[in-house]
Amino acid sequence: MLESFIVPLLAATVQSGTPILYATLGEILTEKGGILNLGVEGMMSMAAFVAFAVAYTTGNPWLAFICGGLAGTVMAMLHGFVCITCLGNQVVSGLALTILGVGLCNFLGTPFIGLAAPGFSKFAVPVLSSIPYLGKIFFRQDALVYFCYFIPFIFMIFMNRTRLGIAITAVGEKPGAAAAAGLKAVKLRWMALLGGGFLIGLGGAYLSLAYTHLWANGLAGGRGWIAVALVIFAFWRPGRAVFGAYLFGGVMAFQLRLQAIGTHIPSSLLLMLPYALTILVLIFSAVRGRGGNAPSHLGINIEPEG
Amino acid sequence: MKGPQDLTRPDSQKATGFADAAPLISLKGITKRFGKVVANKDISLDLYPGRIKALLGENGAGKSTLMNMLAGRFKPDEGYIEVDGVRKEFTSSKDAIKAGIGMVYQHFMLVETMTVAENVLLGQEGSFFINPREMNDRVRKLAVDYELEIDPTARISDLSMGEKQRVEILKLLYRESRVLIFDEPTAVLTPREAFRLFEALWAMTRLGKSVVFISHKLEEVMAIADEVAILRRGAIDDEVMRDKITSKADLACRMVGKEVLLEVTKEDVEIGEKVLEVKNMTGIGLRGINLHVRKGEVVAIVGVAGNGQQELVEGVSGLRKPPKDTIFIMNKPWRKFFAEMTWNNSMSYIPEDRLDLATARNLDLVDNLLLTTGKGFTKGPFLQRDKAAKVAQELVEEYDVRPGRIQALAWQLSGGNLQKMVLARELYRQPHLIVAEQPTQGLDISATEEVWNKLLEARKMAGILLITGDLGEAVQLADRVAVMYCGQIMDEFPVTDTAKLDNIGLLMAGVRE
Repeated sequence: MLESFIVPLLAATVQSGTPILYATLGEILTEKGGILNLGVEGMMSMAAFVAFAVAYTTGNPWLAFICGGLAGTVMAMLHGFVCITCLGNQVVSGLALTILGVGLCNFLGTPFIGLAAPGFSKFAVPVLSSIPYLGKIFFRQDALVYFCYFIPFIFMIFMNRTRLGIAITAVGEKPGAAAAAGLKAVKLRWMALLGGGFLIGLGGAYLSLAYTHLWANGLAGGRGWIAVALVIFAFWRPGRAVFGAYLFGGVMAFQLRLQAIGTHIPSSLLLMLPYALTILVLIFSAVRGRGGNAPSHLGINIEPEG
Repeated sequence: MKGPQDLTRPDSQKATGFADAAPLISLKGITKRFGKVVANKDISLDLYPGRIKALLGENGAGKSTLMNMLAGRFKPDEGYIEVDGVRKEFTSSKDAIKAGIGMVYQHFMLVETMTVAENVLLGQEGSFFINPREMNDRVRKLAVDYELEIDPTARISDLSMGEKQRVEILKLLYRESRVLIFDEPTAVLTPREAFRLFEALWAMTRLGKSVVFISHKLEEVMAIADEVAILRRGAIDDEVMRDKITSKADLACRMVGKEVLLEVTKEDVEIGEKVLEVKNMTGIGLRGINLHVRKGEVVAIVGVAGNGQQELVEGVSGLRKPPKDTIFIMNKPWRKFFAEMTWNNSMSYIPEDRLDLATARNLDLVDNLLLTTGKGFTKGPFLQRDKAAKVAQELVEEYDVRPGRIQALAWQLSGGNLQKMVLARELYRQPHLIVAEQPTQGLDISATEEVWNKLLEARKMAGILLITGDLGEAVQLADRVAVMYCGQIMDEFPVTDTAKLDNIGLLMAGVRE
């Protein structure tokens, strides 16, 4: 049971949690800077498509991965133009971004359906992969998963131990105070938004480069929305985001396996599991009353003065 | 324990050695307009090292606007700022910080979720990575040096108001600011905390820093200032050395000003029944208030702002619930009056805050007319907007509200025109009692005259309770004057009693002969 079911399940958990983790960290960075971005689903979709198209045409998966991140950044720029430059409503702009991203991705992606592109394959890390159980779960993955292990640590150091990270936190909490301290609040918001967009894009790129090597429409499959919910569940902390992302990865992997084994439970009910969990997670966060952890100026635009 | 009330500066606290120093900062002919409102008019001011300059003025006199320009948040429309005799243009807070100007805002500019040290170092240049331990040590040392004890690792949200203010001061000291501006710093402090603040201010002047202290509390200004500049209607009205001010009463007189800017003729009207009676009212910040207003009378409440006028207005106008059986309007107890209040033939309130309390800034003049007169334009469940538009047009013409279009939005009107519109609306309701709060604050002479004449005319139908910080206004309009200090009425007398009127400064400063 352990060898044949649990260990492969956990290994699959890590794999399906990785894109969610990238996106959740990206959204945390964005929100820390005070911008609410509900376009994650659309950004991941577009990034997945761009990454696939680049990998398909150039055959270079690393280039494709970076291009996926850049696609996220470009989508974030659109959001920034509406919300930061034109002071538009962040919720509306984010929703529009999702509709745009998903739609455009399906439109552009249709000719690619069923095609395969070079991506990342799994390889065993020497020494570490021979640790019993853990080795199989964590160290027989692809390069992007290994890369992802470092990101939460880098993220934590960035937010807590660098001037820029603290400045971004200040802008999300109280842009007026940041401006009075001589910081350029608007510029910092742009940085958080674009940096976050890049991470979200990497999450999207993972879907088409490593999770699967075949193109199919609707690859993001609601992961963007889960990432948005996870930010709340994580109380805007990267450590908890790791836990949350793997929890969701686990549920997604579990329902796939259950379907494969062939249970009596209808597959549509199983497919619903991650979203049911999203609701549970949000209820949990609300009950714990930590909504107060949100950056105080989240979703509030910086009005020019003078 | 010492509080700010009985406080004078001990000799040991005096800053010496800066007697002949050149000014650190000079403001030269600064003018600032917001739309058509002139917030600051040709202001020149010098700030010297080692001195505390008090900037005294009523709300809306332009103190905060002036200091925001000094702190680089606003740009002056005319005039310029000199730092060490060199002309400077500030485009952002950063420029002002670089020039050594720091400001402690009335509403603290601190990030609540971050620690003291993080707030102090926010926006400071330095290495990309930070070392929290070294950062905390640096802030701790700074705090010890200036005797502003605080735990650098504490979160701002856990601190008291006094402690938060200390963090703000540390921020400025860390940036080595030479000019420190305090915007009403004691408003949020307990007396003990205020005393500690004063000690800190003195310590800073001994180090050659220049301090600007914005306040409207006379005691504090008397206690700590070296120089006093009085701001009225956006301009410097008076600038004196502290030594030349003989008493708190003297300062109060200088603050309200006595010069007659404008005279209006006041016809006699018939005095009618009582429309407002306040009986022995104690509570909501007031003590033992007795007051009445008859139809045809103007009763002026004067005093330095913040001595209970606000509470009295809020109680009478129904914004705040007074203690039981203390306020009677048109012979009805407060609760009954507001329960049965009709849109007309009752009470009108003309608030001080024209743009956010009296009107809705993004609505046009018709909708703004309907704000308080809406019930007069209904037919069944429907609103007769056409009829309201017609009335609005008539009022705009009658009161000469410019621009004469009823489609104009409230914020597009200048202060004077907006006030005329508010007055037109409130008088249209045919009130029996009018509560007018600072009705001419920030208005130019001609608008002031029009407002005064309208109010005097309104005496034919109503009694007027006038709250004003301008003694001239009280003298011109009132029949009786009541002086408020610390939530009490010090004295009430007919405006014809010139002996008392001459000593009004004493009463405003809380001195009873």
